[in-house]
Amino acid sequence: MIGLSRRAATAPRPGAMPPTDFPAALLRHPSGRWGLALCLLLLGAAAAGPWLAPHPPNLPDYAATLRPPGPGHWLGTDAMGRDQLSRLLDGARRSLGGAAAVTAAITLVGLLVGSLAALSGRWIDAALMRLVDVVMALPGLIVAFGVLGLLGPGYLNLLIALAAADWAYKARIARACALEAVRSPAAMVAREIGVPEWRVLAQHVLPSVLWPLLVLATLGLGGQIAAISAFSFLGLGVQVPHAEWGAMLAESRFHFQIAPWLLLAPALCIFVAVLASNLLGEALRDIATPEARS
Amino acid sequence: MNGSRFAGARGWPRALGRIGLQAGLAALGASVLVWAMLPLAPGDPVDMILAARRIEEPTAAQIAELRARFGLDLPLWQRYLHWLGGVLRGDLGLSWRTGEPVAEALLRRLPATLQLVGLSLAVSVVWSLALALIAVRWAGRWPDRLVMAYTRVFAAIPAFVLALLVLQFVVVGLGLGRVLSGGAGITLVLAAVVLGIDRAAGWTQLLRATLAEQMARGPADVARARGAREARILAVIALPPALLPWLTALGISVGGLIGGAPVLETIFTWPGVGAYLLQALSVRDVPVIQAFVLIAVLAYVAVSSSVDALALLIDPRLRAPREGRA
Repeated sequence: MIGLSRRAATAPRPGAMPPTDFPAALLRHPSGRWGLALCLLLLGAAAAGPWLAPHPPNLPDYAATLRPPGPGHWLGTDAMGRDQLSRLLDGARRSLGGAAAVTAAITLVGLLVGSLAALSGRWIDAALMRLVDVVMALPGLIVAFGVLGLLGPGYLNLLIALAAADWAYKARIARACALEAVRSPAAMVAREIGVPEWRVLAQHVLPSVLWPLLVLATLGLGGQIAAISAFSFLGLGVQVPHAEWGAMLAESRFHFQIAPWLLLAPALCIFVAVLASNLLGEALRDIATPEARS
Repeated sequence: MNGSRFAGARGWPRALGRIGLQAGLAALGASVLVWAMLPLAPGDPVDMILAARRIEEPTAAQIAELRARFGLDLPLWQRYLHWLGGVLRGDLGLSWRTGEPVAEALLRRLPATLQLVGLSLAVSVVWSLALALIAVRWAGRWPDRLVMAYTRVFAAIPAFVLALLVLQFVVVGLGLGRVLSGGAGITLVLAAVVLGIDRAAGWTQLLRATLAEQMARGPADVARARGAREARILAVIALPPALLPWLTALGISVGGLIGGAPVLETIFTWPGVGAYLLQALSVRDVPVIQAFVLIAVLAYVAVSSSVDALALLIDPRLRAPREGRA
């Protein structure tokens, strides 16, 4: 349900590099254009949230509870009289920012573990890869439940749990790409003409590991947004009184009959955010693996 | 999951044995990780047990009794073996919160969850198979585009959001609320349909892509040249090879179904492990969480090994030694 297990998604082949006209290729791709536009819109709204929000997100107003959308409160108010638009904008920072943080963390861990395995000796490589095998044999969502159970509920703990659930596949891909790049003709020639090893790594190996990881990261972004909101919906992530789209859905449930806007607006936000990152991810994947384009 | 793991296997018995061995190793590796939750849990377990039971000022005797009861004074490897021995005998430890055996509490609730997971698996298999076949039969025309748009939309709606919308707009809207409150069969059907339909989106996309690929390959062209109808080519020539990657994906995402079940159970108030697990999570009742993770992982390993075994049945090349392959 939460998309962590969609890790079977096609990964770019080791050695694949972004096309030279990368930004143009992204804009040419139909879903890339839309995905990018929607993502920028959402990120802009989240970043500018404090300035855009008409009211403080956590300030109750018991004189104006469950107001329908209208002037003053464009998207209505919740059961405590808090302005829904302001809470959605504030929640975007946790829903989207959290997903971005988790994705950045697993990409970094994947990069470090994968490159370490690829570049170090047999024993470290074997040990790291067996660990990766075991973690990958566990379903991501279940790992997240387990880690969250260890750490206890909370927003930061949720982010750690989601990162722990999803780093292994990235590490495996990073290792494969790094192995390929270290042995590539370009890297060998560079070494041959006396380029120091750190420059070979920085100029030849790093880019060819980063690009597939970037594609994978974007493909996984939607799943992370969904996971953060799902766990927060269960009360295991963002804690009251802070706003988060999933947590807002949980609060809205009991007032749905009289205030359906409280349910619809956060649901729509989650939908648009996941859709936008899926579109962007699919576009990047198509650009990265032109032969697999359907 | 790919063919290379069967390299060197000769025929059925060895290939099956290899799958069994790998499943056993995965289960053993997972058991170490799951067990490690206990010593890894931050804080002294005794403090956590006391906190889970809301005992504020324990006596020294209480602490010593808890240490002995939960075996906290033994060295780590002994604790692991002790724990593993217990698991093999069906003893999953005692809940820190209630002190009752975890295995009993989980077993009481597990059948309801398994019903939900099983039914939603069936729903999503049938639904994604039907949608993908429709899409490829009329590839590029409006049914295909409709299916693709549908999968895009549903891939972007998390199951819990879909469940909320269905519950609030369909169930309450149609006045079915009274029917649901009894925990009746209709709750199960609704929850399973929601979970299954949510899963089906990704599987439809995958199956459609592989089916389309098969339809563009040599065997399909030959059949077309000999005058076979498109529907027949689709069912007889394209479907069998396309089933294989789809089955593998099914096996992998069963983990997602098991993990998604607690959320749906909460929303539809289905009496499975969901509520029990959530209570345990909110007070960090580690043995309960541990048991849930262990059962989920074992179920997942069992399903994905069965899928691998089924793949052997479908594709004889996987049974053959590697040199024999084209």
